[in-house]
Amino acid sequence: MNKSKQGTATRATRRGRAVKTPGTATEHKTGSGGFAIAAECTVADAGSLKAGLAKLLDDTGMVTLDISAVQRIDTAGLQVIATFVRERESRGRQVEWHGTAPALSAAAKLLGLSSLLKLS
Amino acid sequence: MTIDLTQFHDAFFEESFEALDSMEAALLKLDIGAPEPELINTIFRVAHSIKGGSATFGFSDIASFTHSCETLLDELRSGGMQVSLVISDVLLKTVDVMRAMLRSTQSKQPLDMQKVSDVQFDVEMMIAQKNNAPAKPAAAPVKAAPAVVPAPAAPASAAPATPPRWEISFRPYRELFARGNDPLRMMRELAELGELTVNVDVSALPRFEELDAQSCYLAWKLELAGDVPEDAIKQVFEWAEGDCDLELRLTGGATPASGTNTNANGAVAAPAAELADPSSNATASTAASASAPAAADAAVADAILSGAAAPTAAPAGAPTLTAVKDAKPDAISAVGDSGSIRVSVEKIDELMNTVGELVITQAMLSQLGAALEGGNAEKLRAGLAQLERNTRELQESVMRVRMLPISFVFSRFPRMVRDIAQRLGKQIDLKLTGEQTELDKTVLEKIGDPLVHLVRNSIDHGIEMPDVRMAAGKDAIGTVHLDACHRGGNIAVEVSDDGGGLDKERILAKARQRGLVGPNDVLTDEQIHDLIFLPGFSTAEKTTDLSGRGVGMDVVRRNVKELGGKIELRSERGKGSRFIITLPLTLAIVDGQSVAVGSETYIIPLISIVESMRLKETSISRLSGHNEVFSFRGDYLPIIRLHELFGVEPRARALHEGLVVIAEGDGRRVGLFVDDLLGQQQVVIKSLEVNYGHVEGVSGATILGDGSVALILDVTGIIHAASMRAAA
Repeated sequence: MNKSKQGTATRATRRGRAVKTPGTATEHKTGSGGFAIAAECTVADAGSLKAGLAKLLDDTGMVTLDISAVQRIDTAGLQVIATFVRERESRGRQVEWHGTAPALSAAAKLLGLSSLLKLS
Repeated sequence: MTIDLTQFHDAFFEESFEALDSMEAALLKLDIGAPEPELINTIFRVAHSIKGGSATFGFSDIASFTHSCETLLDELRSGGMQVSLVISDVLLKTVDVMRAMLRSTQSKQPLDMQKVSDVQFDVEMMIAQKNNAPAKPAAAPVKAAPAVVPAPAAPASAAPATPPRWEISFRPYRELFARGNDPLRMMRELAELGELTVNVDVSALPRFEELDAQSCYLAWKLELAGDVPEDAIKQVFEWAEGDCDLELRLTGGATPASGTNTNANGAVAAPAAELADPSSNATASTAASASAPAAADAAVADAILSGAAAPTAAPAGAPTLTAVKDAKPDAISAVGDSGSIRVSVEKIDELMNTVGELVITQAMLSQLGAALEGGNAEKLRAGLAQLERNTRELQESVMRVRMLPISFVFSRFPRMVRDIAQRLGKQIDLKLTGEQTELDKTVLEKIGDPLVHLVRNSIDHGIEMPDVRMAAGKDAIGTVHLDACHRGGNIAVEVSDDGGGLDKERILAKARQRGLVGPNDVLTDEQIHDLIFLPGFSTAEKTTDLSGRGVGMDVVRRNVKELGGKIELRSERGKGSRFIITLPLTLAIVDGQSVAVGSETYIIPLISIVESMRLKETSISRLSGHNEVFSFRGDYLPIIRLHELFGVEPRARALHEGLVVIAEGDGRRVGLFVDDLLGQQQVVIKSLEVNYGHVEGVSGATILGDGSVALILDVTGIIHAASMRAAA
């Protein structure tokens, strides 16, 4: 067929791209007031995400959310984070972001939650 | 509380497989050059739904693959590309890949990703080639950054009039996530359609402690600018239908005022407020769901929202889950044919069983009623007659529930034949007849694989290459014919071809070489044909991936036998082959004629009976040995004495003292000699195989009205058994 060498090259790169960093399924604290959000933040993980964040709700100091590991997030995941941030704010406490997560920022933008999350 | 999304997987897989079937059928119907738009839409919808579903369930491989298909299909739909043979070929391949991906995901088996990426590559190549060709003037889908006010100059210069603007109010119900929908995906798709402005409504968000992580509390007011067809928007929300309140409103576009661009952010609040007002429903002629109680839905949503706004929304969790479960059948039927429901086969089997018992009870009552005398007996008998009628109707209805037309199996062949023929470079015309012949679902499911094998076999071994055919004076295009029909009490499914037929010499030589046949044995044609059903037998000179590995025909025969059927082969060198599969209907109930032989009662299925008669001595002839025949309408039919076959002491031995039932089985007619005819009745088949073991000539047993057991005769088996005895 007309699939020449050029085709094989493209295929190879695509497979290269397809390799994903395996997500860690569990969240772990990064010290007091810090919390690393897991790679997968979808509806299936939202319950454990909420449980993890709940422990920080009453933290009197600054809470830092490390989002650098986030690979996949959906509305449910973002809703949990947004609720957390809003709740902290209503208590006059701050949340700070650590790291960047393109998936998370893009999702927040599309869902109109960027300003609530103070993600700029 | 967590919701296990896997509970929705089955429904998704089932729907997707069905959708793929219809996509395949539509692809095969697609006319190259002048495709029907509706067909392309059907195909597109399938790819779209599978993409959406797999994305929300997290099957990202499938989602990515279907996305490529969708892009290609969208080009076809919009007329950006023309349907060509190459494209329809590739699309057919994508159906296979999607099916394989879904199957491997469903069974959690690994998948050959090489094939997936090959096909995806082909699809992407096609799209790329199109893009390299004279570009379509329309702008490529811009991943519009939301909430961005565009510079007024850019779009204004592109379009002479203000592009129309859609105002979308999207208020999901709580269970939206649990149904496998993700608003994020919808936003992403909307953003691809045009310029999207997103305003989120977080007023329903509860306090963090009260948040149910799997419920959706957010709602959105969206603005989509651009020349976007309403259908495209609806399609984005297609999977969420029934799980949200959705309102679409078209504004702008009519007035070419350039002001609309500048007020993008500021103006949102005003129409949005309007949208929230239920009274505006009347004007929103384009309300997405188009369901009558749209206003009611809105009211419900309002109630939910206001309820949730109060800090006492905690118990929402549990009821939400039940709501999800209850609503599941709705979701399923909404996608499938609205006039049908899905019922598990076990439930139907249970129903069948109960009806079977009812038939036995009814027969028992009828028998009792017939013996009664007295004033009320007549009335009782009238009631019993009615009961019998109703029972029969009930039983027929239940049986029909299990019956499906064989087209369910046949429908996979056009594609298969096309593919194989293409691969082998043969030209093949597939003829399907009798597709509406109905048979039991269980049989239907199990007959698929054997048929696939036979059809492959016909194409691979049967039909010759076009040049060979021409040389033999045949049409270059070979014909494979699939036929189904009711024959006697059975279903006959035939696979025939007009190919080269079986090479008896080669089969025999091969069998001798393998020691299956002694060097000096002389075999009849039938026996030679039978050889190909032996395990490990193949005469193909080289094995292909299609056939010739020597697994196959024996498996086919075993499968057919497991269904209580049989397979025969007729072949003529140079003319073609015919495989005839005969299957029992395997219905739980059969119409039977009960006959008496000595003290025993046997049931002969009515469908096998031609007629019954008393023989005159003059019509009987005796042949050499034990064989007796009688003349019947110019034919001589063999007589089988049932009492001899079953070893029962008869009341009548002289042929003219009893009766013969002329029965047909396997294309042959015989006279079954019995003492007497008792009556016709419906009997419930109780499997002898399950409860005892297979007996030649008996297809099952039944319980009669008086509680005694009668054997149901299998005429074909009896003919076979009798001819074996005669030969012995």
